[in-house]
Amino acid sequence: MTMVPARPSLLTPPVLWGLASLAAIALSLAAAGLFQQELFNPGGLPQLGRFFRASLQPDLSREMLQLTVQASLVTLAYAVCGTFLSLLLGLLGGVVMSEVWWQAVLPQRRQLQPPPIWFGLRAFLAVPRAIHEVIWGLFFLNLWGLDPLTAILAIALPYGAIVAKVFSEILDETPRQPLQALLNSGAPPFSAFCYSLLPQAFLNLLSYSFYRFECAIRSAAVLGIIGAGGLGYQMLLSLQSLRYEQLWTFFYAMFVLNGLVDFSSAWLRRRWGCASRLDLNASAAPTTRTIASNTPSFAVYQPLNQGLALLLVGLIAFCFWYIQPDFSKLWAPRTGQLLTDLLHACWPPDWSQGWQLVKLSADTVAMSVLAIALSATVGLLLAFPAAHNFFLPGGLLNPTAGKNASLLPQILFLLSRAILLMGRAIPAPIWALVVLFVLFPGILPGAIALALHNLGILGRLMAEVIENLDQRPLLALQTTGAPASLVFLYGVLPLTMPRFLSYSLYRWEVCMRETVIVGLVGAGGLGRLLTEQLSSFDYQGLMATLTCFLVLTFGVDWVSASARRSLR
Amino acid sequence: MIRRAGIGYQRPGLQPLFELRQVTQQFGGLNALSQIDLKIFPGECVALIGSSGAGKSTLLQLLNGTLRPTSGEVWVLGHNLGNLSSRRLRQVQRQIGTIYQQLHLVNNLRVIHNVNAGHLGRWPFFKALLSLLLPLEVETAAKALTQVGIPEKLYDRTDCLSGGQQQRVALARVLVQDPVAILADEPISSLDPELSREVMDLLRTLCQQAGRTLVVSLHDVAFAHSHCDRIIGLRQGQMVFDAPSFQVSLEMLADLYRLTAPL
Repeated sequence: MTMVPARPSLLTPPVLWGLASLAAIALSLAAAGLFQQELFNPGGLPQLGRFFRASLQPDLSREMLQLTVQASLVTLAYAVCGTFLSLLLGLLGGVVMSEVWWQAVLPQRRQLQPPPIWFGLRAFLAVPRAIHEVIWGLFFLNLWGLDPLTAILAIALPYGAIVAKVFSEILDETPRQPLQALLNSGAPPFSAFCYSLLPQAFLNLLSYSFYRFECAIRSAAVLGIIGAGGLGYQMLLSLQSLRYEQLWTFFYAMFVLNGLVDFSSAWLRRRWGCASRLDLNASAAPTTRTIASNTPSFAVYQPLNQGLALLLVGLIAFCFWYIQPDFSKLWAPRTGQLLTDLLHACWPPDWSQGWQLVKLSADTVAMSVLAIALSATVGLLLAFPAAHNFFLPGGLLNPTAGKNASLLPQILFLLSRAILLMGRAIPAPIWALVVLFVLFPGILPGAIALALHNLGILGRLMAEVIENLDQRPLLALQTTGAPASLVFLYGVLPLTMPRFLSYSLYRWEVCMRETVIVGLVGAGGLGRLLTEQLSSFDYQGLMATLTCFLVLTFGVDWVSASARRSLR
Repeated sequence: MIRRAGIGYQRPGLQPLFELRQVTQQFGGLNALSQIDLKIFPGECVALIGSSGAGKSTLLQLLNGTLRPTSGEVWVLGHNLGNLSSRRLRQVQRQIGTIYQQLHLVNNLRVIHNVNAGHLGRWPFFKALLSLLLPLEVETAAKALTQVGIPEKLYDRTDCLSGGQQQRVALARVLVQDPVAILADEPISSLDPELSREVMDLLRTLCQQAGRTLVVSLHDVAFAHSHCDRIIGLRQGQMVFDAPSFQVSLEMLADLYRLTAPL
């Protein structure tokens, strides 16, 4: 007689989270007014048709191409300078925010919790992180006008806070024994850090820095929308003047720029053997970071790496020279004056619109939920054909394709990659304006615009998860004679799903922050109110809206973090 | 050259379960196996020994149809694997259970699903899907886990188990698959001596009980002697000897683990 343990309850935490998210999606759909009100505007269809037809005949005149190159350089330069500054901030912040630093500096407290200043720092850095680059941009616009400084700092400040958080986590996860050995032999903490933790974590830090740069390119384009110049600005101008042929020229420039950045970053990461750039489940699955033995590993003194480093320094110098930000404005007396004026105008916050704020907050959350649900679903569907080890001949589900293999997988591969690239290359506000051709303003167009942009990012992250999948369990399933569909069900799906979900939850946090930028162009939610308050100089009302926004952002971050913990 | 290849094993009227005919396997320019002829008959218990890179894993991968030979033919259960459609290949693979060197389990699934994966060659898609939500054929899985000695782990997550327990889950999966032959690729290389003995005993018993054929690659020559009745020595892709266990002498082993072959 065999003993059969009692079947555990079906309502495990992941299942409960799943049910909760289905409920959230249903509620959000209701909030978007599905089946209740007129959403679709057929009058905009001809416009949309013209827009898509223009993709086949972009404006390639000489002046136009010159303008495109200039605008692309501006966007690139914003991204490079912004990332550079944010990495400086982030490295500093990351070290002082890491637990291990305080343990090194205050060894007598090693057994205790880190000092109060550590908690203070963490809480303080959460604020710049919670506010989207565009809001920072609008704020700096008031101080410095349309100086490139505005755009660079709008990227550097929130990114610096994010980088600091991630760097501190990477440092805390790095093995500490070498550091301890140095400290025990009497080395001062800073030198000990430079000789142990920093070189140990270097690859992970570098890999994340490249990911930040990929994001910065997209942020730099979005900042154009508020007038900072570059490709985003040119796109907005063309769209507003209904010159779709020009618009598509800028779109294609953005594809090329994004494609180049993504490709070179992926190439470098592969070359140095860091497979995953954004490891949200790092502590759950440490094996994914191991370097495959056949990849050339990283060595600082290799000539190619030295060349690349030189190239990078040159690029950064060129970018600062090209846009010439006026750093003297940072300490100009006028800045201080404007800042005090602005703070006075903001205080106290005006809560007179209380009820409307609550309703708009609910709308904003609904928009973010719909956006992530849509982009996760479509991103997932596109990720499989976009992964090079899946449907392609020799891939997981197509192991025996011989000479008579069809071209379909290759076509699907290129097509899905192109869709993903197009999704992420075009800034969400531009998508929103396009969607608003055929949908009435509200939650839905905002959600769709955010989804279109985010599915490009999410799909790519997911494809990378699939490509880095451990093949051995799948091979074992294949040799039991299981058909491809069941290898997928019992191997691929369970192995990838936790990562897919945790990326989706992470992107949900980003979507929440981004609702503000589709609101800017009229898609609804708190962002729209924010725009109205900005244009009517209602700074006290603005303060109240921003506070709501901060509360929502922290709330969403908290929910997402708890869900991710339970999914490990 | 000591090669008592298979002659003693030719039993008239009995069809070999596995047969390699002049098989060569190349990876890049490298010969992983060259010109191997080999017959393995039903009910045999065969050990593959030799140093790392001798071709043991490659040979097992050829036998279960994961690899197709660069030249030569692999016959399993009377079928030439090279001529089978992928559907027919799967039907043959269903009859062969493989246990791997690193534990090829899906870590974040519960034990029951990893064990039930042994059914996948037979189960229709919807049954497999349903079972992921609501485990099916729990009795069979529980019986298999009892046989390998960890019945209480049925609903645990696989990554919460120790290395030895995970190896047992892999064994239970093969039991559920109920194959006519078991291939084991260094099943004890990551286990301590005590666990190694237990796992080898288990493998041996499981095969003897049901008259299954066992082909196991081993680093530990002592286990090859104690648990198998035939030993095949591989060196640099060549078969150095193939003899009943009791005939394998210390000189033959010393010769096998020499670094280079004499000219």
